Amino acid sequence: MKDEQRERNIVVETVVRVMIPFIQLFALYVIIHGAGGPGGGFQGGVVFASAFILYVIAFDLAGARARFPESANTIFSSLGLYLYAGIGLLAIIFSSGAAQYLNYGFIPFTSDFYENRALGMDFVEMGIGITVMAITASIFFDLSQKDEKESEKEEEESK
Amino acid sequence: MNRLKLITLLLIILLCALFIYVAEDIPVFGDPNTPPLKSVELFTLEVDPLASLLNQHIVPETLSGELVKRGFPPPSRVEKIPDLEGEWNVFIAKEEPRYAKEEKYYWVKKEGDKLRISRYAFVVRWIEKGLEETAVPNMVTYGLADYRGYDTLGETSVIFTAGVSVILLLRRRSRL
Repeated sequence: MKDEQRERNIVVETVVRVMIPFIQLFALYVIIHGAGGPGGGFQGGVVFASAFILYVIAFDLAGARARFPESANTIFSSLGLYLYAGIGLLAIIFSSGAAQYLNYGFIPFTSDFYENRALGMDFVEMGIGITVMAITASIFFDLSQKDEKESEKEEEESK
Repeated sequence: MNRLKLITLLLIILLCALFIYVAEDIPVFGDPNTPPLKSVELFTLEVDPLASLLNQHIVPETLSGELVKRGFPPPSRVEKIPDLEGEWNVFIAKEEPRYAKEEKYYWVKKEGDKLRISRYAFVVRWIEKGLEETAVPNMVTYGLADYRGYDTLGETSVIFTAGVSVILLLRRRSRL
């Protein structure tokens, strides 16, 4: 029923189909590039979520949910926070209690103390990016889902 | 209704005036030599016995006594700023493992017959030591993820909480 309602626009669909991979790649670039230039976890996560929003605008919600299911969404939204907090906890574990929480220098990624701090920062940015991406997508999906239900109810009432 | 509009307009004008008044006190953005961005003034001392001691790289008793009396960390070393007459950097000693043992902390400047003692703003240390301490060239990122890591952890959990509350309020199904 939904497919009949939806107006198919070949131009929009083709452009979105081409753009989405590049938007996602750019989002990953922004997250990873946070240490060297402008960018970071928050911005990259929002850019990544905008790819899902664009998909929902051009196609339909059910297709977007099939590609990014609710279970994965829920897992990702807490995974980023766990990654962040876990990196902080690793600093305490590896220094056997000498370092403070979130003192990345004591995690032995490499032999250099200051290089460890840079790498720890990269992992933290990834955690932020995952959480922001999943939460933004989740909020958007929930809001649009409610609208669809209401419109269905209104149609039933009018019938 | 008309009265409400008038009151709203007046309030907006009042708010604009308040913002302009506040913005007057903010220094020109990006000028690193204005007082709050570079230093915070603490007190002034007489120049006579102190300047010669400072030039010999000795910390004067009066200076450290005055600083400790006001609750600031005691200075450990004095260095003259090269190419500038009558300005000194005063360092303090720190006892933190793996980090720099001494830190540039006070700024002494000769003004007429007074010595102005200032504390360097945190921004100065942030800019000068950040790349060296974290191996990350982006000033914003090492602030966000390293120096203020706790803050960012809190921000991320705020976003997580917002998402969970939207799920609880809007997703009316049995399974999550």
